[in-house]
Amino acid sequence: MRTAIYGIGNILMGDDGVGPAVVRHLSNLPLPPNTTLEDLGTPSLDLPAYLLGYDRVIFIDAVAVDAPPGSIHVFTRDEIMAVPTGIRVSPHEPSINDALIVLDFAGTAPREVLLVGVVPQTLDGGMRLSPRVAGAVEGAREVVMALMESILIREAPAAALAPA
Amino acid sequence: MSSSASKRITIDPITRIEGHLRIDVEVDQGKVQKAWASSTMFRGIERILLGRDPREAWLFTQRFCGVCTTVHALASVRAVEDALSLEIPLNAQYIRNLILIAHALHDHVVHFYQLSALDWVDVTQVLKADPAKAASIAESLSDWPENSAKQMAAVKARVKGLVDSGQLGPFAHGYWGHPAMKLPPEVNLLAVSHYLQALEYQRYSNQVVAMLGGKTPHIQNVAVGGVANAINLDSEAALNVDRLYQMKSLLEKIVSFVQNVYVPDVCAVAGFYPDWFSYGAGVTNYLSVPDLPLDGKSTQFELPGGFIPNGDLSKLVPITGQKDETWRNAVTEDSAHSWYKGGGPLHPWKGETDPDYTDWEEDKKYSWVKAPRYNGQPAQVGPLANVLVGYAQGHPLMKKWTDAALEKISAIAHVRATPAMLHSTLGRHGARAIRAAVLSELALKQWQLLTDNILKGDTTIYNKPDFPKGTVEGVGFHEAPRGVLSHWVVVEDGTIKNYQAVVPTTWNASPRDTDGTPGPYEASLLQNPIADAEHPLEVLRTIHSFDPCMACAVHTFDPSGNNIARVKVL
Repeated sequence: MRTAIYGIGNILMGDDGVGPAVVRHLSNLPLPPNTTLEDLGTPSLDLPAYLLGYDRVIFIDAVAVDAPPGSIHVFTRDEIMAVPTGIRVSPHEPSINDALIVLDFAGTAPREVLLVGVVPQTLDGGMRLSPRVAGAVEGAREVVMALMESILIREAPAAALAPA
Repeated sequence: MSSSASKRITIDPITRIEGHLRIDVEVDQGKVQKAWASSTMFRGIERILLGRDPREAWLFTQRFCGVCTTVHALASVRAVEDALSLEIPLNAQYIRNLILIAHALHDHVVHFYQLSALDWVDVTQVLKADPAKAASIAESLSDWPENSAKQMAAVKARVKGLVDSGQLGPFAHGYWGHPAMKLPPEVNLLAVSHYLQALEYQRYSNQVVAMLGGKTPHIQNVAVGGVANAINLDSEAALNVDRLYQMKSLLEKIVSFVQNVYVPDVCAVAGFYPDWFSYGAGVTNYLSVPDLPLDGKSTQFELPGGFIPNGDLSKLVPITGQKDETWRNAVTEDSAHSWYKGGGPLHPWKGETDPDYTDWEEDKKYSWVKAPRYNGQPAQVGPLANVLVGYAQGHPLMKKWTDAALEKISAIAHVRATPAMLHSTLGRHGARAIRAAVLSELALKQWQLLTDNILKGDTTIYNKPDFPKGTVEGVGFHEAPRGVLSHWVVVEDGTIKNYQAVVPTTWNASPRDTDGTPGPYEASLLQNPIADAEHPLEVLRTIHSFDPCMACAVHTFDPSGNNIARVKVL
């Protein structure tokens, strides 16, 4: 099983940089084998290529939900896919659900997809996270680690049965 | 106001955080009579660089845009090197050139299959296609091995599954059954089949960029003065013969896809839509900069640059390099119709960004994009400009692939395709494919230059920059996938005093200027046919042909900070 943990967002656009910030935080810790950790920035149309070959992907991104800035919300694949897409004018418009739709059609989408979302306070130009979102980085890192742990536990019996 | 018979259409997609594009067209008697291109998002980036060390600017500029990371990194180091007149080692030039080519090939293929093809391809028609016939059409276009009837049948079954599910997945927003769709069912099937294969080939380009750049999408190996790729033929950890050959094999796969799939597909689509060689010319002043430098001082280039006025190739004025005085003095930005104070044209080294938002006023200010001008005139940039500028100067590969593409289109369309037809919506798609084919050959050439130089014993990668007291100015340019990109830097006592990026989409999405002259998008839409005003597919065709990248085009900073609401939609 191959897992990717991807931070999404622009570090020059205020709290949009929260995904990359969580990735930087995770990069100091040991990760399970077969796990890729990367700050993808805002890959848009390039995103499908980064998902190929993975069974599971955890995204960390800023999300617009009606909740206080700095709060953390985990979305399942079904919840991500429920958001309608629109006509694309530029290569910046496709997002996570667009990428999954493309790969579902190709038959090469990752089976499991989770999104750890952090509600931003400001997306205005600047490299600093707002205090509330900066305060959520550690929490988001813990959520990602907990998700990874639960996955490992779930898969442990199958792994134990595999020949050494 | 519009007349009672005319109809105003606004295409204004709700999108995510990046600055986005709004197109307004006035349609009368089935044709576009007036057009405005506007960006509705205000966005700040260059200000972040003020006061910083010029050696680290590239780390930030490659975050300007998630799609064009490497191009902004390289334009930035070139600008600082130009300010210092700093020569860089040959290995550094070749490594940078290979990164730029890998990125461009990736970008052109993605643009066609993932973004533009749906303007021409009707996926629902695939269900009527005969896979054997599709395979035989494919065979007549190229000898690509993955075009068998069996493979075509599998793709048809996949599309059927999608249609039966009631959801059209990635194709949900196409204009299915639109009267302007003309491809035979089998060509639609061929295109969808290659759309799927293109996904695989995107990975190979990313792998080349990662091999040289350390990581992708954000490369780590660039430095003002060269690159940070250790070269050591005896070390596992450095760039060695094994890695060079791994890279070559990836490049060969990409080259084959570009030449045997992408180029023939564009020719086939073009051949079935010959009308679209007569729409969308717009601004026919073309600007392209020389690129793929071949010496350490960047005085010799693989691809030539120049300015073509009024579509007249015989009047081309070459641009010889970053030190070319005409080029250095010709670029200005005007904000008469942009939401900034002032209005008159300013040189990028003197560029100002003082917001003056007024709402969308068609005769006054209506866009966050400024209006770049070359010697006071609007200019179209992008692969078409690149190809015409190369063709006009007799560049052998540009000539070879342009002639080959025109011949293929002529055979399919049963008309005599000529270079003059390239001034059009389809011409921009054709030129992008021609440019990709040229770059695919140059990828292998640059690989050979790098390998030969290393085998000769040259392992130099870096010359240390030295910043003088006082002020120096530099410009770094790059012929990026979407056209001329230039970074303009002013360095004072070793820190950045001013920084302006004039990006390709700013040239093309330019609003009107002080004289009321429209930009390339605006001019290109005039007289485009509109079959169904409720579904203005034709507007998308022409705008997509430029490969818009609005995230880059709007690159200003709002000092007051909070007057624009931004919503990110997942």
